[in-house]
Amino acid sequence: MKTVVSCKHLNKIYRQGQIEVKALTDINLDVIAGDFICLSGPSGSGKSTLLNMIGGLDSPTSGEIIVDGQHVDKMSKSELAELRLHKIGFVFQAYNLIPVLTAKENVEMVMQMQGDSKQYRNEHSLAILKEVGLEGLENRKPAELSGGQQQRVAVARAIVDKPCLVLADEPTANLDSKNADNLLQMMREMGEQHQMTFIVSTHDPMVMERARRLIKLHDGKIIENNKQH
Amino acid sequence: MSHITSLLMSLAWRNLWRNKRRTLVILFAIVLGVWAMIFTAAFMRGMSSQILSDTINNLTGHIQIHSKQYLDDPVIDHRFSLIDDQLFESLNNVLIKQTSSRVRVPAVIVSERESTGLVMVGINPDNENGMSFLQSSIVEGRYLKDENDSGIIIGRKLAERLETRLGKRVVIMSQDKDNKIVDRGFRIVGIFDTQMEALETGYIFMGLQTSEDLLNIKNEVSEVSILLHDMNQLDELVADLQQQNPHLDVQGWAQLEPMSRVIIELYDSFHLVWHLIVFLAMGFGIVNTLLMSVFERTREFGLFQSLGLKPGFIMGQVWVESTLLLMLGLFLGNIIAWWSVLATGEGIDVSAFAQGMEMANLSNIIPFVIITKDLVLANSVVIILGMLTSIYPAWRASRLVPADAITRV
Amino acid sequence: MASTWRFAWRNIWRQPRRTILSILAIAFGAGLLVFSIGIQLGQYDLMIQSSIRIYHGLLQVQKEGYLDEPKMRTSIADISSLASDLRKLSGLDAISARANGFALVSSDKRTYGTMIVGVQPEFEKKISSLPGVIKEGRYLSSDSADEIIIGRSLARNMQIKLGDEVTILGSGRDGSVAATIVPVVGIYESGSRDLDRNLIQMPLISFQQVFEMNGHGHSIVIYDEDVKQLDALRLQFQDLTADYKDLVTLSWDEIQPGVRQMIELDYASGWLMYIVLVAIITFSILNTFLMSVLERTREFGIMLALGYTPFNIGRLVMLEAFILTLVGLAVGTLIGVAINYYFYVYGLTFSGMEEIAKMYNMPATITPQISFESVFLGPAMILLFTLLAALYPATRIRKLQPVEAMHSI
Repeated sequence: MKTVVSCKHLNKIYRQGQIEVKALTDINLDVIAGDFICLSGPSGSGKSTLLNMIGGLDSPTSGEIIVDGQHVDKMSKSELAELRLHKIGFVFQAYNLIPVLTAKENVEMVMQMQGDSKQYRNEHSLAILKEVGLEGLENRKPAELSGGQQQRVAVARAIVDKPCLVLADEPTANLDSKNADNLLQMMREMGEQHQMTFIVSTHDPMVMERARRLIKLHDGKIIENNKQH
Repeated sequence: MSHITSLLMSLAWRNLWRNKRRTLVILFAIVLGVWAMIFTAAFMRGMSSQILSDTINNLTGHIQIHSKQYLDDPVIDHRFSLIDDQLFESLNNVLIKQTSSRVRVPAVIVSERESTGLVMVGINPDNENGMSFLQSSIVEGRYLKDENDSGIIIGRKLAERLETRLGKRVVIMSQDKDNKIVDRGFRIVGIFDTQMEALETGYIFMGLQTSEDLLNIKNEVSEVSILLHDMNQLDELVADLQQQNPHLDVQGWAQLEPMSRVIIELYDSFHLVWHLIVFLAMGFGIVNTLLMSVFERTREFGLFQSLGLKPGFIMGQVWVESTLLLMLGLFLGNIIAWWSVLATGEGIDVSAFAQGMEMANLSNIIPFVIITKDLVLANSVVIILGMLTSIYPAWRASRLVPADAITRV
Repeated sequence: MASTWRFAWRNIWRQPRRTILSILAIAFGAGLLVFSIGIQLGQYDLMIQSSIRIYHGLLQVQKEGYLDEPKMRTSIADISSLASDLRKLSGLDAISARANGFALVSSDKRTYGTMIVGVQPEFEKKISSLPGVIKEGRYLSSDSADEIIIGRSLARNMQIKLGDEVTILGSGRDGSVAATIVPVVGIYESGSRDLDRNLIQMPLISFQQVFEMNGHGHSIVIYDEDVKQLDALRLQFQDLTADYKDLVTLSWDEIQPGVRQMIELDYASGWLMYIVLVAIITFSILNTFLMSVLERTREFGIMLALGYTPFNIGRLVMLEAFILTLVGLAVGTLIGVAINYYFYVYGLTFSGMEEIAKMYNMPATITPQISFESVFLGPAMILLFTLLAALYPATRIRKLQPVEAMHSI
């Protein structure tokens, strides 16, 4: 099977004045296409750092990251932007949506940047919002949606242009358990339906259960890497 | 690229109104600034156009021809002949709208009780018409009939000072071409009233032929004043006339009345200075407001980056936002400035400062004049400098590091 | 108290970039106002000084009605002894009598009508700078010498040189013919076009003889270089002349209302511009005040919960605005004063200044005024405007509810 993400000897050290903090130490990781990976560990264990680094939002101190055959650690800012635009979808814990745009516009924005036609955008965004269960709420602004609904819009946006990789950083942290469960269920379904790879960071046991593969981080090191289902 | 442009535009417009109060405050500052620029420019332009038209109306015209020494020593000795084929031919120029020949020499006027020195001007009333203030300023009696008219016209202030009035006789004394004192009695047939005291007390007018008879000259004058169709051709015509009549002295109004020229030039250079000052005053506010909205939206810019939008897009977004703000401010500022200029009607009456205005070569009503050049200058200062200053906040926005930007609470 | 100040001071520096931009905006405004008000007032001082110094004096005692209609017969009897009485009674030495007339003055070649003024040479030197600007020859020697001095332009126009004799022909106070022949002993150049072209001085007693004045004169000119003494001096001289009926004491701005009006007009239009500018600056920084309140809602909620009253918090916010403005004003005022001090030492001139200076009879360099008024007027206005602006966000604090506030972001 195709490898979508490959990390080799990845290190990240943050420097704050005199103090050095090792955020990641010698991470080696391969993710194959279509996987649904859960990245778990206590806060400060390096989950977000690793996700940001795979997404090219942050750069490693040493080591290499290959996403879909491209060396992320060697790319320029605008190459990284291109990569994110076409190949990676993001879902964050909160503040996922542009507040001045409606749900539909938020979803359409990425397609618009890729130059898709208006008709295509329209059809596609409506379809995907329906898929995530937001039919009828397309024209609401983020502030008019519940937390769960907002996260669904974020997922819809992340997957609308079929990226090969979706990175979700604690997507359920602000949701109650029922909403969290629904969101996870939906993400899993989407992943299978659209053949997309998901990496989800969490410390929510329920999320871990849903994962095909569970990777545990502690103090910036991988301490467990198990296939589950 | 149009899909990006339309996305930029709609994002920028909506972001502008996210914090309505803040946007309105800075918008108000911009509108006030633009208004101040255009309104002040209109006032200064009104002053300079007033100075210019007064200068031209007050016997100067656009161009004057004299004998070589006349401007230095304006007396009868420095006259020139009108029977001159070369001069006649060169005045027959298509650029020239109107000419008027005048005798203009120092004289003394004596009434029954008082006497004073002034300038006596002999004119052809028909040629003078439309060229100087005289005919439209007659408030009592009549204008001169023709160049043989035996009456004279004097200013209202002068009449008061001489304790004389319409219909009375006064004696005019001057020197004839042989430097002999000549004098003759004249009846006052008209009284003129201008806003300029110096004109009212310093000049009397009579027929050209009458003045030539008094001074014992024939077909000779002190000056020819010329009005053009188009002021822009002034320099060209001055050069031509001077070249064709080397024995005479040809000067444009700017040389004849350097004071007016200097004031007009000062106003002109003050335009840009004032615009820059006003812009600076609001520029700090624009940058500060934009920076506030950028730093408030740090997360959002991080999100944009994580969605794969390049730093250039983010910069563009802030930049388009500020440009929209500036254009809105310009639009409203221009409209309000126009409206306030219209509301002033004929201009503002500053007759409370009449004598002060006169010292500055100005009459008592200052019109507001909006011309395209001034509008373009004010608007371009705001839009160009405004777009330049907003580069900094826009650049700051694009430089926010995505990982920091997203994780910041 | 000290701790409140320290608290406010720290709050200001929580957003250093924003604070610095706001301080810069205020400093820019303050510096500009200090600079231009200093220049303006300096220029007015010059205009007043020169208009007083050269000829007209600070005060004049005249017969009532003479100012409006300067007629020979509207005169003061026995003017020399009145002048010497006034010198004795007031203790001032710079008091001199004059008599004014008009005459035809002829050289061999030319005749001009000009003003002739009879003066007391000894005292004239103390009230006017004219005796000091003799470029050729000398000033008048005694009260009764038969001689005149004449302006450079008039001398040139009449084509006369030092030592030439001129014929003076006019009418005396009683209407009789006044005629004499006198030598020119001095030629002056004051820089004022009016005087240089149109004024001849002769000794008072000679004048009185030629013009049949019978001891009469027209004005007593009083000079004091301290313009601030004007009102006091005026009262004193009104008192001293109270016994003479029909005498009035006129101040320089009644004698030359043009200068005063020019200054008033210029000052008024200057202030309009300053107010607009300060309003723009105020709106520019209003957002800073506004945001510093709006983004601290949660913090204010906690303070309310800790027992602060909304009034306390409002006062804190006002204090912050006050401190920020003061820092800006201090920086701007220092810079403005420094610039003015530089020009105070080295003088300021610009292109076109020379022509204007000549017109108003002033030196071509401006010395800015550095006084309490010129330094603090502008900054005080900015302080007033900004404190008014700061009131708006401060009043919003009164609407805060502790629980809601603490839960807002």
